[in-house]
Amino acid sequence: MKVLVTVKEVAAVEDEFQIAGTSIDETYLEYDLNEWDDYAVEEAVQLQEAGIADEVVAVTIGPERSEETIRMALAKGADRAVRIWDDALEGADLLDVGAKTAILEKVVEEEDPDIVLSGVQADDDGFGATGVSLADALGYEWAAVVNHLDQDSVESGTASVRRELEGGVEELTDVELPAVLTIQTGINEPRYASLRGIRQAQRKEIAPKTLGDLGLDAAAVENELELTDMYEPETESDATYFEGGPDEAAGQLADLLREKGVGAQ
Amino acid sequence: MLDFVGLESDLGDEERLIRDTAREFVEERVRPDIADHYEAGTFPTELITEMGEMGFYAPNLDGYDLPNVSETAYGLLMQELEACDSGLRSMASVQGALVMYPIHAFGSEAQKEQWLPDMGRGEKIGCFGLTEPEHGSNPSAMETRAEAADGGYVLNGSKTWITNAPIADVAVVWARDKSSDGNPVRGFLVETDRDGFVVNKITEKLSLRASITGEFGLNDVFVPEENVLPGVEGMKGPLSCLTQARYGIAWGAVGAARDCFEVARDYATDREQFDTPIASFQLQQEKLAEMATQITTSQLLAHRLAELKERGDLRPQHVSMAKRNNVRMARDQARVAREMLGGNGITSDYSPMRHMANMETVYTYEGTHDIHTLILGQDLTGIAAFE
Ligand SMILES: Cc1cc2nc3c(=O)[nH]c(=O)nc-3n(C[C@H](O)[C@H](O)[C@H](O)COP(=O)(O)OP(=O)(O)OC[C@H]3O[C@@H](n4cnc5c(N)ncnc54)[C@H](O)[C@@H]3O)c2cc1C
Repeated sequence: MKVLVTVKEVAAVEDEFQIAGTSIDETYLEYDLNEWDDYAVEEAVQLQEAGIADEVVAVTIGPERSEETIRMALAKGADRAVRIWDDALEGADLLDVGAKTAILEKVVEEEDPDIVLSGVQADDDGFGATGVSLADALGYEWAAVVNHLDQDSVESGTASVRRELEGGVEELTDVELPAVLTIQTGINEPRYASLRGIRQAQRKEIAPKTLGDLGLDAAAVENELELTDMYEPETESDATYFEGGPDEAAGQLADLLREKGVGAQ
Repeated sequence: MLDFVGLESDLGDEERLIRDTAREFVEERVRPDIADHYEAGTFPTELITEMGEMGFYAPNLDGYDLPNVSETAYGLLMQELEACDSGLRSMASVQGALVMYPIHAFGSEAQKEQWLPDMGRGEKIGCFGLTEPEHGSNPSAMETRAEAADGGYVLNGSKTWITNAPIADVAVVWARDKSSDGNPVRGFLVETDRDGFVVNKITEKLSLRASITGEFGLNDVFVPEENVLPGVEGMKGPLSCLTQARYGIAWGAVGAARDCFEVARDYATDREQFDTPIASFQLQQEKLAEMATQITTSQLLAHRLAELKERGDLRPQHVSMAKRNNVRMARDQARVAREMLGGNGITSDYSPMRHMANMETVYTYEGTHDIHTLILGQDLTGIAAFE
């Protein structure tokens, strides 16, 4: 069984930064493996360690710099990686869900995995839709926001998963493989890369591919979305202190919650 | 994080990943509880095997499931461990540089197979017994002795100030071989459960409190011939181990000082007196400027040492200079950082005073500051002032 994990290098800004138009200068950015993807990698590696998966392949859309981050996935146990990038991607200032779907769809066709694990969302652009959109394009089944996967079930060709719904409600459901699961944080405890793993990762393959290699052209990354503005949201903090003993304070808190609509039917 | 002349921007991919991983591990797994351990005088023993899984013990050695990373990567690891606490770095130094290294360099194939993989995973713990109650700076005057007996040796003597002795499975004991001509110093692998091996914990420490230290006595302890390290005779044995460990200390001290600097800088930009952050006062800026300069020059020395070690040109005297300079630097700068924190700096909520107290041990062990001065003096003049 083969597992494909989609991973993304995400940018985080330092405490102090400046916005120039619709971008932030490199000097203020730090790159890291997307947090959700870290959990997806761990889930895949656990499937491999349990003898259920034979191969774990990581795929990313990103510039050469992102290899550093992708190596982290290899150091944690993925067997090899595919990295898609070229001038057309370099030139695009925003990759929307449609573009990512088009690219990943081709990779899935080439790799033919039994199961695709993606993060629920990316920490920087936060579309939160790529995994499900990919499943839709491929005609695969999917489960979004998965916080538990029954590994034994995977072997029998059906993934029994627990999904997080709104308001603390959870759903248990079965999806037929091949399928895309979008992985929620907390599903497992991602390991640290060991020094041995980091050494081994240096010898693992990260295959670079262009859109052309996948049979796509620049049109694939033409976006319907356009980045029009970038600004720092105002942070507001509004703290209310309740005076008096516990009884009194609890009463005031109850009034406030009721007023805000908690408990309303 | 202070790296003023960007030495770490020139790191290779692998080295950067190792630094980041060590930093993340320390931040999440160790730092939250380290002050409590320090106060209680305990080591987080549950981390011993976790650090083994991470590959933190002797990662610069080859074979036997060891990662064989570059000397720079090894140095960065020591830097990140000591940025948390010298006790953490000491755990890795003793296990890796003082116990696994001599087994790797001087041990028989059977000894290597028996100990290195298990010690690398942290499933077996080692300690290094050189110092004795009456012989510290001059270990060559050691009294611990080995007499040949049927099929092996009988050891007698005592060792003190031995890091990890109370939790060790095996001790590398350096002793005079009374049955050989000239009574050469030899290394013995002594399992701590052998009859006649008695260990006590040293509890009154005011420094390196998050590290377990002990003393042990050897009362007619028999070890078979195959427990002798076959590949070395004389003081070269223990001294070559110390060169490995001191190399790590030269890097570690930079980490401890950097942590002090970061805490002091944060505090100074945050804390207001006379209606302005204390960082706006020239007196405080001078402290930060000097601290950053001292840390940076020490860091340069550490990086240069790595290059020399990697290509085989590192001399023990180079390591003496770096250990001497960098530890003194960390000791001085920890005090300055503590001072910038005012009264709050006196509590264990902030790391500088803990580092400051730790540096008293680091200044003393692995060759005191004075002894490294004498080693350099001898190297520079050709005249030994201590032999
Ligand atoms: C917490 C801790 C952990 C330790 N862990 C270990 C361990 O794991 N294994 C191990 O073997 N040892 C260990 N040590 C011991 C350490 O290496 C010794 O304490 C150190 O070598 C100094 O020896 P000493 O304490 O006997 O001091 P001394 O040698 O008695 O020195 C006392 C003072 O005299 C000075 N001095 C000595 N000779 C000269 C000279 N010729 N000229 C000028 N000044 C001189 C010294 O610099 C020092 O200031 C540890 C020590 C501590 C505190």
